[in-house]
Amino acid sequence: MVIQICIGSACHLRGSYDVIEKMKALIAADNLEDKITLKASFCLGRCGEYVTVKADNEFIDGVNAATIEKIYNEILKPKALKG
Amino acid sequence: MSFVDYGYVSLNKKREELCGDRVEHTVCGDVHTFVLADGLGSGVKANILATLTSKILCTMAAANIPIADCIDTIIDSLPVCKVRGVAYATFTVVSLDERGRGYIVEYDNPPAIYLRGGKLCPLERQEKVYGGKKVYFSELEMQEGDQIITTSDGVVHAGIGMSLNFGWDVAEIREFTEIQYERNGAAMTAASVLANACYSLYGKECGDDTTVLCVKLMPTKTLNIMIGPPVDPARDEAVVKEFMSQEGKHAVCGGTSSQVVARVLKKELTSSFDFPDRDVPPIGYIDGVDLVCEGVLTLKKTLKYAEDFSNPAYPEIKQFRGKDGASMLANLLLCDSGAVNIFVGRNVNLAHEGLGIDNKSKLDIVVKLLKILTSLGKKVDIKYY
Repeated sequence: MVIQICIGSACHLRGSYDVIEKMKALIAADNLEDKITLKASFCLGRCGEYVTVKADNEFIDGVNAATIEKIYNEILKPKALKG
Repeated sequence: MSFVDYGYVSLNKKREELCGDRVEHTVCGDVHTFVLADGLGSGVKANILATLTSKILCTMAAANIPIADCIDTIIDSLPVCKVRGVAYATFTVVSLDERGRGYIVEYDNPPAIYLRGGKLCPLERQEKVYGGKKVYFSELEMQEGDQIITTSDGVVHAGIGMSLNFGWDVAEIREFTEIQYERNGAAMTAASVLANACYSLYGKECGDDTTVLCVKLMPTKTLNIMIGPPVDPARDEAVVKEFMSQEGKHAVCGGTSSQVVARVLKKELTSSFDFPDRDVPPIGYIDGVDLVCEGVLTLKKTLKYAEDFSNPAYPEIKQFRGKDGASMLANLLLCDSGAVNIFVGRNVNLAHEGLGIDNKSKLDIVVKLLKILTSLGKKVDIKYY
């Protein structure tokens, strides 16, 4: 699974740096580097209240530094394991 | 025609609000005239002497008035110091055209250091006497890469009685400038390296006003920078093609702009995942474009770098080695280029409203950058789309 995290201006201010760092750590802790490819992306055209994140072709809502761990465990990790 | 690159740093004597050294610069056609004047004493009095001397000399020399007449004018104009009974500021005049021809006139400042190929190249100084004052003339035939460094005596006094008993020896200063010479380095960087060394020798509290002026003949290099996509998306292709057809390097600032450029060029846009500076979003890559970076946040940081770079009182070394977008853009804009063409697209990104990064604040940053680049002697052209 490819996860794209937006690093555009608006998402940067919404915390994409912290989201990226936390995601790197979470993926490393679970040894899921071969299942999940993390990528940065310029504006994905969904600027809003949260950091724009796309897992394969699906947008993941509500991501920021505070919610990323929960979203990773409940949505992203199961999705990656399912393939 | 070459680019006359210059930069100077002027550090105040400790506890002084005003500097007693002064650098003036004027351009008349393709002739650049620089004056470094060091007023007797320090503080207000020295500042007035140095300001009058540099301003008068620079204006008159730029108008091709014989140097003897310029000196007479200065002697007749300077207020006489009540304490010392003299009116006096030492000075160095550098006059240089864009083909590298010109002259240096030196009066009582430490001798100018001329480097060719990074090696000291002694000037053939001719002594002339005006009203009892010994003045030295040297003809200049500069080649690209040649560098002149002229200083006030604060440089040779650096560290007296502190880190160095007798100050910094002229021969050692020359050797230092040879070691630090970089052919492609900016004049401002060279000036700041020497001034920063003095600042360290003084233990960060200068015992005297310390000024370093560097003038360097460089090849004219152009940077084209695109900031923001055009208001009318129908013009995307035409604007990108015009932008890319310009000679020189190309930088694209902004996520949407990068996507527009990549689309028109039919190239892939990829983005880096590294945050060398966490305030600045990562850079991207498009084949054929020298720098791809995010827009407003990167520009904001670049402006901060440009403000420090152009501030004569900033004592640190002025160069940008960082791998973040703002450092790389600052290096291209401030150190690498003699001419800058700015393509500003005014399309508004609604997602940026209310975050303090709206279009108005971006345009404000661009205008401030433009003023700084112009003040540094660069040829700046701006177009709006």
